[in-house]
Amino acid sequence: MIKKKMIISQETMDVDFVRKVEALAGTSVRRCFQCGKCSAGCPMATFMEHPPNRIMRLLQLGQWQRVLAGRSIWYCVSCETCTTRCPNTVDLASIMDALRKLSWDSDGASKESYVQLANKLFLQNIRTYGRQYEMRLAAVFNVKSGQFLKDLMLGPKLIAKGKLKMFHSKNKNISEIEKIFTRIEEMRKKGDAL
Amino acid sequence: MSRIGVFICHCGENISRTVDVERVAQEVGRLPGVAFSTDYKYMCSDPGQTLVKKAIQEQKLSHVVVAACSPRMHEKTFRKAVEAAGLNPFLCEMANIREHCSWVHENREEATVKAIDIVGMMVERVKKNRILPTITVPVTKRALVIGGGIAGIQAALDIADCGHEVILVEREPSIGGHMAQLSETFPTLDCSQCIMTPKMVDVANHPKIKLYTYSEIELVEGYIGNFQVTIKKKARSVDEDKCTGCGVCMTKCPQKKIPNKFDQNIGMRTAIYVPFPQAVPNTPVIDRDNCTWFKTGKCGVCQKVCGPGAIDFEQQDTLIVEAVGAIVVSTGFDLYTIAEKPKGSPIKGYGEFGHGKIPDVIDGMTFERLASASGPTGGKILRPSDGKEPKQIVFIQCVGSRAREKGISYCSKVCCMYTAKHTMLYHHKVHDGQAYVFFMDARTPGKSYDEFWRRSIEEEEAVYIRGMVSRLYQKGDKIVVMGSDISVGVQVEIEADMVVLATAIQPQKGADALAQKLGISYDKYHFYSEAHAKLRPVECATAGIYLAGACQGPKDIPETVSQASAAAAKVMALFSRNQMEREPIVARVREAGCVGCFACKKVCAYGAVEEKEIRDRQGNLIKVVAYVNPGVCAGCGTCQATCPSKSVELDGYTDEQIIAMIEAL
Repeated sequence: MIKKKMIISQETMDVDFVRKVEALAGTSVRRCFQCGKCSAGCPMATFMEHPPNRIMRLLQLGQWQRVLAGRSIWYCVSCETCTTRCPNTVDLASIMDALRKLSWDSDGASKESYVQLANKLFLQNIRTYGRQYEMRLAAVFNVKSGQFLKDLMLGPKLIAKGKLKMFHSKNKNISEIEKIFTRIEEMRKKGDAL
Repeated sequence: MSRIGVFICHCGENISRTVDVERVAQEVGRLPGVAFSTDYKYMCSDPGQTLVKKAIQEQKLSHVVVAACSPRMHEKTFRKAVEAAGLNPFLCEMANIREHCSWVHENREEATVKAIDIVGMMVERVKKNRILPTITVPVTKRALVIGGGIAGIQAALDIADCGHEVILVEREPSIGGHMAQLSETFPTLDCSQCIMTPKMVDVANHPKIKLYTYSEIELVEGYIGNFQVTIKKKARSVDEDKCTGCGVCMTKCPQKKIPNKFDQNIGMRTAIYVPFPQAVPNTPVIDRDNCTWFKTGKCGVCQKVCGPGAIDFEQQDTLIVEAVGAIVVSTGFDLYTIAEKPKGSPIKGYGEFGHGKIPDVIDGMTFERLASASGPTGGKILRPSDGKEPKQIVFIQCVGSRAREKGISYCSKVCCMYTAKHTMLYHHKVHDGQAYVFFMDARTPGKSYDEFWRRSIEEEEAVYIRGMVSRLYQKGDKIVVMGSDISVGVQVEIEADMVVLATAIQPQKGADALAQKLGISYDKYHFYSEAHAKLRPVECATAGIYLAGACQGPKDIPETVSQASAAAAKVMALFSRNQMEREPIVARVREAGCVGCFACKKVCAYGAVEEKEIRDRQGNLIKVVAYVNPGVCAGCGTCQATCPSKSVELDGYTDEQIIAMIEAL
């Protein structure tokens, strides 16, 4: 995907997606002129397959599949160094937020990323138990991501230190937490929330 | 006995880095005739010049040698200083120990010895220098402007507004040049015709401007203040005095399918034509190569329909001689065209872009004509091949420019801006279309220029792709553009309906031939050379000739207009005096020795040698000798070298002086 030739046309440049990002982030994508200052100062850039400036460039060309397919947006730690230093006042940190949000909503390209799976399971656990149940999170994540033995040897150590509980404990006010989730869902339906 | 003062300059470190200037001063100080020698960091600066002046007065110096840079750089400076101290300026000589010594050598010891030799030679030479009185010559207060584009128009108007007569010569049937072809102009997007045509009318109506269109420079003789220029007025076949510009001849002409050069050959014109409706003068020209009358001797429709009887098939080219004092050269530019690559040109073509083969690959100027309201499509952007509106349009910058392999390494300067303008014009005219630009760098220095470029991207939605295009090819009715986006680092492919190439700016064809007629220098691309890149940017090294516009190098309209006004200011400074002083470096004939062979007359490039009769008191002719007109002589020395009887001497470069220099070695 990264090295694949780009066929550019009005059909392949998804302007609507770019507009959505711009609306979510409240900043202009077209304004970037590729100076590279964001990538120069990004503490996570070395881990990303697309450094921040290239994310911007791909967005300018409406190539959202390439952006969401990668893990760059999930490596971003929202330190906002890029936003602070951008000479064109592009709020790149907000764009990263928006991209994560849009990745969440889309079922397509972002499947490659386990970060999203982890996030989804994390929230599911909160909704079910009212607090985090790490054992279940790890187990379901490993099964769903198909890496059954991932970090298995860390389990006994964490259990021994009391960091990982064998059984879950439920939050007393679980109904209150459920209300939060329901309210957000309703707001989303109405379009009041993202 | 002469009392020579020698002044050695360090030139900052330029000389002192490789030459031991103090030692040079000491050694030269011992030479016979040298009364004073010293060194100083910047001899050309005010304290340096004061040092020279003071020494002349205190030491009662009779001659001065300044050992510093080339005389081309500062001879005038020091001669002026010497004159201010009361000496004749021609008793001062420069010893060039920078260009001829410190800059070209590395070994300090050897360079120092060479510098001593150079200064020693000049000391011997200056002893033989004579006092030369300056020569004054009259100034003809009329200017010639060559080229009627915006540069020539601006220069002509500025000079004429100061009350001096101007002769404006234009090769094409109308003035206006390339600017008249443009649709709109950056960075304000005002229509080119709207700001250009009023100026053209001003030229036509100005009482001080004499306009020769459809004319070329045949011959230039003379020198600053006194040029004689022969202008060839090509046969128009239409009597300019009789023609009213009604245009009936053009509507009746049966030859209607001749590609119009003004419309980049996409529009058609008749055989009798004006290049565009707003032409100045509005007098048609018969294109004799395409006219039925001139090809077959039949037709003559235009002659029959012309009310005032202005058509004159018998008209001949005429030669007109005009006397002028100054010349402004503003011949402008031409676009790099691959389709008509001249034979033997070192500039290569772009086979990979298919320009000239794929009909919908056009150049920027053709796009201008398409976008122009007065263009062949009435301002609609349509493909030349099938007349459809292109929905995907690709612009490629730096075609020809910055391509060393193709033969041009300079930047054409205006393409970044006009491509940004093109994307805007396209966006305004084709709302559902998309413009793409392949570029290597965006070079937008200029007032409101970068903002303009950014506007094309941020507001007018042009997609700029950093990276060059490798190849274009036709696929069905599309053109496949193979490029790369170096910001992403992947190959890019676009199927375009039309491709516009921002081709390089080159000097006008025949620029070299004109330069040879004028005696001015030009660079390897045939752009005219200014006297000094920074400090004399509008003057030629040849006195009395000035440059304006893109004939000197790629320029946009604001710069061209500024330079044209600057050239006009230089002309006006020259015209502010009735007489001008010139250097008395001229040849003189020793009449006693002259045998009247006139070999000198044959070799003189300036026509300065005349024949002079010598008669006795009774009026009997004794002999005819050569005489050099000091007003015309340029001091080149060719006659001196040619004279078989050694009877011609060039003041300031006499045989005696040269031999003294050789003997000093």
